[in-house]
Amino acid sequence: MNQEAESGLKILIADDSNSDRILLKAIVQNQGHQPLLAADGLEAVALFQQEKPDIILLDALMPNMDGFDTARFVKANSGDDFVPIIFLTSLNEADSLARCLEAGGDDFLTKPYNSVILKAKINAFWRMLKMHVTLQAQRDQIAENNMRLINEQEVAKRTFDKIAHEGALHLSNIQYQMSPLAVFNGDVLLAALRPNGNLCVLLGDFTGHGLAAAIGAMPLSQTFYSMVAKGFTVKDVVYELNLKLKDILPVGVFCCATMIDVDFSGKSLEIWCGGMPENYFYEAETGQKKAIASQHLALGILSAEKFKATTHIQMMQNGDRFFMWSDGIIEAENAAGEMYGESRLEQVFIDNGDAVDLFADVNTSVANFIGATEPSDDISIAEIMMVDHIEKHDSPHKAVKNAAMAAMDWCYSYEIRPQTIRNSDPMPILQKVLMDIPGLRPRSGELFTVLSELYANALEHGVLKLDSSMKKTPQGFTDFYQQRAVRLEELNEGFIRFDLDYRGDDQQGELLMRVTDSGDGFDFASHRQKSSDKNCYSGRGLHLISSICKSVSYIGVGNQVEVVFDWHNVPNEDVN
Amino acid sequence: MGISARVSEDGTELNIGIDGRFDFSSHQDFRKAYEESNDALDKYVVDMNATTYLDSSALGMLLLLRDHAGGDHANIRIINCNDDVKKILTISNFEQLFEIH
Amino acid sequence: MTDQIIDEAALAELRSIMGDDFQLLVDTFVNDSEQRIVALQEAVDTADAELLRTSAHSFKGSSLNISAGRLTALCKDLEDRGRESRLDGAAEVLAGVRVAFDDIKAYFAA
Repeated sequence: MNQEAESGLKILIADDSNSDRILLKAIVQNQGHQPLLAADGLEAVALFQQEKPDIILLDALMPNMDGFDTARFVKANSGDDFVPIIFLTSLNEADSLARCLEAGGDDFLTKPYNSVILKAKINAFWRMLKMHVTLQAQRDQIAENNMRLINEQEVAKRTFDKIAHEGALHLSNIQYQMSPLAVFNGDVLLAALRPNGNLCVLLGDFTGHGLAAAIGAMPLSQTFYSMVAKGFTVKDVVYELNLKLKDILPVGVFCCATMIDVDFSGKSLEIWCGGMPENYFYEAETGQKKAIASQHLALGILSAEKFKATTHIQMMQNGDRFFMWSDGIIEAENAAGEMYGESRLEQVFIDNGDAVDLFADVNTSVANFIGATEPSDDISIAEIMMVDHIEKHDSPHKAVKNAAMAAMDWCYSYEIRPQTIRNSDPMPILQKVLMDIPGLRPRSGELFTVLSELYANALEHGVLKLDSSMKKTPQGFTDFYQQRAVRLEELNEGFIRFDLDYRGDDQQGELLMRVTDSGDGFDFASHRQKSSDKNCYSGRGLHLISSICKSVSYIGVGNQVEVVFDWHNVPNEDVN
Repeated sequence: MGISARVSEDGTELNIGIDGRFDFSSHQDFRKAYEESNDALDKYVVDMNATTYLDSSALGMLLLLRDHAGGDHANIRIINCNDDVKKILTISNFEQLFEIH
Repeated sequence: MTDQIIDEAALAELRSIMGDDFQLLVDTFVNDSEQRIVALQEAVDTADAELLRTSAHSFKGSSLNISAGRLTALCKDLEDRGRESRLDGAAEVLAGVRVAFDDIKAYFAA
């Protein structure tokens, strides 16, 4: 619509009758509009292109180019603009009226011209024009906002990808399906290895969509990666995540999450699940699956005092698989508005012939159900399989060249007492101390396996006085961990002390680690003979420790163990 | 779809009824239902009798109501849940925060 | 359709719309009409039904707008004849058109 529209419209009058044209001109002028005059179709088209009139009054029969062709030209060349055409007719001949409509006419004015009727028609179109202009402006605004939003999301996503990098998701025992823009649906999948070699995976689902859903993913990822790399346990990590999210997120926004810790040497799986749909644990030997339901509220709802970090521990043999997903899969809708639902998901596991295909089968089943050729944006799913050991990975602590490897000679002692034993894990602190020795960094995985085993023994058998032979049967294994939790909760006396003694230079070094607990000790001489039985779940990990360390020795009644761990710089080794 | 709010005769209990899908589109109405109520209220009932479905943003709205009603001291009952609705509330472990029937 | 030469009430309306330009409207109508009568004569002489129809159609529209009832009716008669190629008697109707037009000119000249 013309800029000067408020002071009247530009109205093109095309009529070959001079007297009719003069009359229309007068009527239009009297109403405050600006008339443009054309005596035939060609003149009308030229004026239309030059002057961009708001409304056209068009005689049907004109020389050179008639009204029908003129109307068609105008409609074809108006683009997104609405240019109303009012046909001027002598008589209500149904046939010619139909031709006017067909050519793009919007209304008729019959002779003799009535100024009141024409005024009403022009005003009606004027209102429509204003509405059309408003709609166009709003449409353009929406398109522009949408473009801006997409740009913002792309920038946000690039930032997000740096913080929530794929971590350890590339490991061959993990399969996952996430939309590249999943974070804007609130879904996040993170994986990282702890220094002891355990794999931690977290699948989170924030409420809401768009940037609001993505915003919480930043602190979530940052905290996850930083804590897991320092060796914190699932309990510590979810506790901290809950605290952080509760602090940051407004009431009503939260993050449903499942976090697991896969212990490849101990063949167990630790699960914390809050607000997520049932996870599936698939047992390779029996081909059966078992559902593991969420026991907790989502992260970011409860205050730190009320939050419960209790986990579920599951034995997991090689080939066993754990499936985690957000509610996107359950709620995936087909064209009829039906939801995929749990029963269909369950059926996939019943129908499956080969566990290797399970992951693909689930995805195919959902895709077939919703009738899509590509996975839906809302579907996030991950499968983690138990394997013997994971492939060598890039340690976050790559060995540095000699410059930083000065000679060192120190000892460090750290004793933890009941309150600390109950509430925290000493491993991250010890890790920090030990990772200051550059020569040890390439072997951090082994070192922490040793340290964790020694700590577990001191805690479980020494301080908590649990009998490792309990773990010989699957039921006993479960009982063992229940007992462990109960006794830990009730613990009010005892200690565990770590004495670290290190001496080394830039070429080699020797670390002595002594772990002493307040327990009764054990008969280590006879234990050594029995421990060749490989099938038992117990064994205090002594095999493992012996295979890594230069020496292992028990002292006194067996409540003190001393191991020596050494390293040598191998000449010309590519440490990058 | 709609949200209705009714205060008990003694003015202490607010009954909020949710008809149809309880999702983000109900956000404004649901908030209005309890924010416009008077201060004498100390009990809240969310009636899901006519609720067909709820999504995670509805869970968020319930948490907002809980916050409004006094957080840990809130007295909120969620009643007449159908199986689907109950299941979603259960998966989310909301029985730890609300009395659910 | 009224058979009046001019509808006085409608003409008063036209006067108010046109204001000072009323005479221009009348002069334009008279000039146009003289040309149209030439065209109609040619159509009758050459028995050109299509020319008769289009010329009569335009003349009819202008006459309607000037509220010249009898002239409008006669033009419509010619237009119909042109459409239906009934040229017998068209010359007599055209003679009537001339009379009616002369009456209008006389009315405006008065």
